[in-house]
Amino acid sequence: MNEISFSSQKEQGKLDSVASDVLRNVRLSKGFIIWIGFLFLALAACLFAYIIQLKEGLGVTGLRDYTSWGMYIANFVFFVATSLVGMLISSVLGLIGYNWVKPISRIAEIIAIAFAAVAGLVIISDMGRPDRFPYLFMFGRIQSPILWDVTVVTTYLVLSLLLWFFPLIPDLAISKNRLHGRPPLLVKAYEILSLRWEHHESQYRILKQALRILLILIIPTAFAIHTVTSWLFAVTPRTGWDSTIFGPYFLSGAFVSGTAAVIIAMYFFRVNYKLEKYLTPFHFERMGRVLILVSIVYIYFNLNEFLVPGYKLKTGDAIHLRELFTGHYAMLFWSVQLVGLVIPVILLLIKQMRRPVPMMIISAFVLAASWLKRYIIVVPGQGHPNLPIQNVPVEWVLYKPTLIETAVTMASILLVLIIITILSKLFPVIPIWEMAEDEHDKEKLSGNE
Amino acid sequence: MKYLIPIALLIVLAPGFAWGQDWVVPEERKGRLSTFPFTDETRQSGEKLYVTNCISCHGTPGKGNYISLVPSPGDPATEKIQKNSDGEIFHKVSTGRGQMPSFRNILSGDEIWHVVSYIRSFNKNYIQKVMQVITSSAYPGAVIRMTMGYNEADSTVFVSASAVDEKKTVAVTGAGVRLFARRYFGMMAIDEEKTTDESGKAAFRIPAGLPGDREGNVHFSAKFTDEDQFGIVSMDTILLAGDRTIPVSLLAERAMWNNVRKAPVWVLLTYTIGVIAVWGFIFLIMMKLRDIYIIGSIIQGKKSAEAITETENQPT
Repeated sequence: MNEISFSSQKEQGKLDSVASDVLRNVRLSKGFIIWIGFLFLALAACLFAYIIQLKEGLGVTGLRDYTSWGMYIANFVFFVATSLVGMLISSVLGLIGYNWVKPISRIAEIIAIAFAAVAGLVIISDMGRPDRFPYLFMFGRIQSPILWDVTVVTTYLVLSLLLWFFPLIPDLAISKNRLHGRPPLLVKAYEILSLRWEHHESQYRILKQALRILLILIIPTAFAIHTVTSWLFAVTPRTGWDSTIFGPYFLSGAFVSGTAAVIIAMYFFRVNYKLEKYLTPFHFERMGRVLILVSIVYIYFNLNEFLVPGYKLKTGDAIHLRELFTGHYAMLFWSVQLVGLVIPVILLLIKQMRRPVPMMIISAFVLAASWLKRYIIVVPGQGHPNLPIQNVPVEWVLYKPTLIETAVTMASILLVLIIITILSKLFPVIPIWEMAEDEHDKEKLSGNE
Repeated sequence: MKYLIPIALLIVLAPGFAWGQDWVVPEERKGRLSTFPFTDETRQSGEKLYVTNCISCHGTPGKGNYISLVPSPGDPATEKIQKNSDGEIFHKVSTGRGQMPSFRNILSGDEIWHVVSYIRSFNKNYIQKVMQVITSSAYPGAVIRMTMGYNEADSTVFVSASAVDEKKTVAVTGAGVRLFARRYFGMMAIDEEKTTDESGKAAFRIPAGLPGDREGNVHFSAKFTDEDQFGIVSMDTILLAGDRTIPVSLLAERAMWNNVRKAPVWVLLTYTIGVIAVWGFIFLIMMKLRDIYIIGSIIQGKKSAEAITETENQPT
């Protein structure tokens, strides 16, 4: 069945081998069912915690008059941050012309979709009265960064979905006839979603045109999404948030956590999906370099963010920085900065460290530190309100997340994992036609044709 | 006169309690006394004035939470301030020194005495001495009365002073008078100090654009400057001498802090144009999905047509 417009026998063979390698994972294996079952079970347990919060109100969390933005908002910022990597890999690196990002780009998009989609839900979990969420659209003020944030997160999610879906269309068409023994519903879904793709030249032209627009459009949107998220903090005069560099500071930090997330996912797919042929040590080596670059940029912004107020030491800043450097948050602060940022950069400069296994371990530290860093940005400043709040119980002054809060946060992380699992299990995780096309080009270049 | 004795006593004793301080109050001011007795009412009024004008530096009396300045403002409840005579406190509040502002034009004489009354309430050993007679040495036995009015033609406020006793009323001549307008914080001097003429009148030019309330009313306060000669003579009145001022609400115009209907135009435009532009592109791209589908349908249609023709043409 010669459905593809690749002419030679060799190209067809290449395509067949890529398709069979990638589609091997598209099936409801026992491992998948156990894993997804575990995820849903854990999610149900965590949602029970949310039901308690819904019934009792935010009093069941550690949020009080002093610290009204706690773990939820820190988690939200982390999610928005991590989702930005979709733009970095597909658009920035792709448009520059780095062809090696091709097998990684879909993984990056899946991560972007999962984190961006759940970020919105995280915001709702921080609301004491989630039933009033529509009020944002009914009575929202266009002057408020909160409204801008909702707008850009939604837009980014839609763009990421399109950026994931468009290159998937040819793959669906290639795959729909190769899904023997898969659930008929899945085959039907492939049939419908492939939109009568015939690998016709004019269809490819439309696809590439649309992709080009999307890749450009997503850059300002991604910048907007995280800059606006940083403005949720930076437009207030609160010590620790009152900073003019919060936009680029957040953005550069986002690339660090996103890159780390992609590396972890790459490692997982390489090992579990047996995709060693496509996610090679070369790709890890390249991603290691990307991580070094974005981390150094982030270190630079960190330097500005802490050194400049630390030099001036205005009263509020002095208290805030003392809390971070030597006070209550010192342990957390220095672990995050050193173990999660400085040491990884130093290690990654060594070539052996940019091999898959060490990269995965380093990225796990970087990702965990990225989450904690958001906590350090959101929480400590609120312990010293601008207007003294009087006669409050002492336990209100120091914020401590409760078990329920932690469970609800866990629920959001589980949800991200569920989305990533479903998208990567039901659909090809490596772009088949792009890989085949790539091989095609390579052979052309080397004169094998 | 009755108050001469205490004054004389105070003059003699002055070095005893003024020693050790570098803020020297002129001898003749030290013995000055309030013309009215301190009551709960004066103390309450004094407390209000203290909270508005003094607390920011001197702190709450008795708490010692004054701010650290050099020289130290000090806590009014402490020995350091309480050892001053009433006249000394009055003088220091009126004139000010260094970082301590002068309250002469901010508080009226009576108001300063109210503050003194409040400060004294923190001193258990304090026994007030009251200056008993409000009369003038220039017009013995007479009470000085003032009338005020606004002359719209030349936009002046005139003050007319007369000394009244049981038998007759005479114009007070040659007396220095100052005029103030009340504002949010203290009083604003209007024109310069004037001296009453032969008919007892002094006229003050009202500056153009003096803001009044919604109707144009201004609260004026006229005061004799030479208190030694005339005693404390002052009068408050409200005259229609200012411009009408309609207060503008902060929510009246478009602003970042206003509601959505009064959002700044640039925010509305930036947001709307941005959203329309990006979502316009998204719509266009979604339409491309439709294009792909249509092309696919046409090709599939052709293919099946070919297949049918092929089957038909197949030799049997």
